[in-house]
Amino acid sequence: MRLAWCAAAMLLTASIASAQHTPISRLNKVLDAPTRTAVLAIIDSARVEGLPAEVLVNKALEGAGKQAAGPRIVAAVHKLAGELRSSRDALGPASRDAEITAGAHAIHAGVTQAELTRLRRAGVGRLLTTPLMVLTDLVARGVPPATASTAVVSLERAGLRDADFTAYQRSVRQDIDRGADPAAATTTRARGAELRRGGAPPTRGP
Amino acid sequence: MPDIDNTRLEAVVAELRRTPPLDASFDRRVMRAIRSAAVRPLRLISPLMPMPRWRVWSAFAAVAAGMLAVAVVPSVHSSHAQPVQFVLVAPDAKTVQVVGDFNGWDVSRPAYAAENRGGGVWSLTTPIPPGHHRYAFLVDDSLWVPDPAAPRVADEDFGKPNSALVVEDAP
Amino acid sequence: MDGRSDAVIVQQVLAGDVDAFATLVARYRDSCARYAMHMLGNREDADEVLQDAFVRAYRSLGRCEDPDRFGAWLFRILVNRCRTAGARRARRTRTFVADEGALLTAAEEHPAEQWAWREEIDRALAELRPEQREAFLLKYVEGLGYDEMAELTGVGVSALKMRVMRACDRLRVLLEEVRSA
Repeated sequence: MRLAWCAAAMLLTASIASAQHTPISRLNKVLDAPTRTAVLAIIDSARVEGLPAEVLVNKALEGAGKQAAGPRIVAAVHKLAGELRSSRDALGPASRDAEITAGAHAIHAGVTQAELTRLRRAGVGRLLTTPLMVLTDLVARGVPPATASTAVVSLERAGLRDADFTAYQRSVRQDIDRGADPAAATTTRARGAELRRGGAPPTRGP
Repeated sequence: MPDIDNTRLEAVVAELRRTPPLDASFDRRVMRAIRSAAVRPLRLISPLMPMPRWRVWSAFAAVAAGMLAVAVVPSVHSSHAQPVQFVLVAPDAKTVQVVGDFNGWDVSRPAYAAENRGGGVWSLTTPIPPGHHRYAFLVDDSLWVPDPAAPRVADEDFGKPNSALVVEDAP
Repeated sequence: MDGRSDAVIVQQVLAGDVDAFATLVARYRDSCARYAMHMLGNREDADEVLQDAFVRAYRSLGRCEDPDRFGAWLFRILVNRCRTAGARRARRTRTFVADEGALLTAAEEHPAEQWAWREEIDRALAELRPEQREAFLLKYVEGLGYDEMAELTGVGVSALKMRVMRACDRLRVLLEEVRSA
């Protein structure tokens, strides 16, 4: 019995020590009271909805780290909460937190919910975090969202692995840096990656 | 134009001043040459580039197996954290820090200060937990710079966009 | 319009933001291109020299002592590159190649008479000694003062004045010859 108490006390101490280093505990230190109250309310709602609330904590901490004004931090956190919600609706409730987060960034960049759903259907049962990251990057580099989405969906259908997706992203980025039209580079490189991949898509569990 | 007491020379100058500019592709060609000059120093770190047995899928975040156990970071408590190398070429920088979701965007964490490896190459190798992360470099405590070689996030809520990193669970 | 000062952009580039250099390229490309084309007499050489000047400026940006005057510093690099390229070209051939690209563009905008006038100017410029052409272009086409020119070229003010005067005299003669021919 005494041993059990000791173990419980040790666990409690460890969890308190750990909590002192958690991102959310830092919000108290880095945000002023009105901003903190507003941000925590959004985070709490997100948590109740089952959204990845830590992403919102990180957004608030980013704002504080970059010395943004309180209202701007609240607005950014609020917007991101909406994008996380849209992302989960589009990708499905069984999606992992990292996928929902990557999907929210894609929506922020201009990708529609319908395009995210199309990607989910193309990659059923597979982890989409990296394809979504690549999709966001393409749009951020000037590729029209519909073009980028079509390319990434076709690559997902072709069964590209995550490493292939990052290699594809690197090729497109280099083409754009060399002066290529972003949309042309995206579709041309996608065709090449599909041809190289060939064969049946491999199993890639979540 | 007092030195040219000749209207014909004035007309010459007027004509020479209206020379048409270079073609539109000039800027792209110059920037291509400059980017290629900019990435050249990265070859210095090629021995540290990804090794196949690590599963950190990122074009920019190379894994340095030999440096794995060095960095101990309080907030990175996941036993599945993977070592990730961050590299920025900044010849005149005095300090470079890596700041992102994985360290709570805390700009005062010495554990995330990149080391000047010579030739303007700054590098940090540190364990990062699995998941999707956003990050940026903070140069000289004042300038936020996205990783030029990494996927972008397009989330410029607070100024410049950040870079993205996906770390998978170890097998 | 990008309102950042040259110094701010230079700082960003030095901190690793390579893309920021594109703003400097866009800002100074046209005036530099104009000078290079007139000095070298054709678009291809000017293009090559200008690209080389920008890359050299990027590589030695850390040595730009006064980033607020990046434009003047870049121009100094360009003037030197034009001198080197001009000497190399002079060894290669003495034939003057007209700026075909500029002429074609001019032809779309101007009647034949204007086109011919432009051709006369290019030929007369090409007839000048390189140091006279350099001084004339910096003084009148780029609108620099003699002190700035001295800083840029490393040549004394009185020598520059002499070069400009001789360039003007020679141009008058050359253009008069064309008219009376």
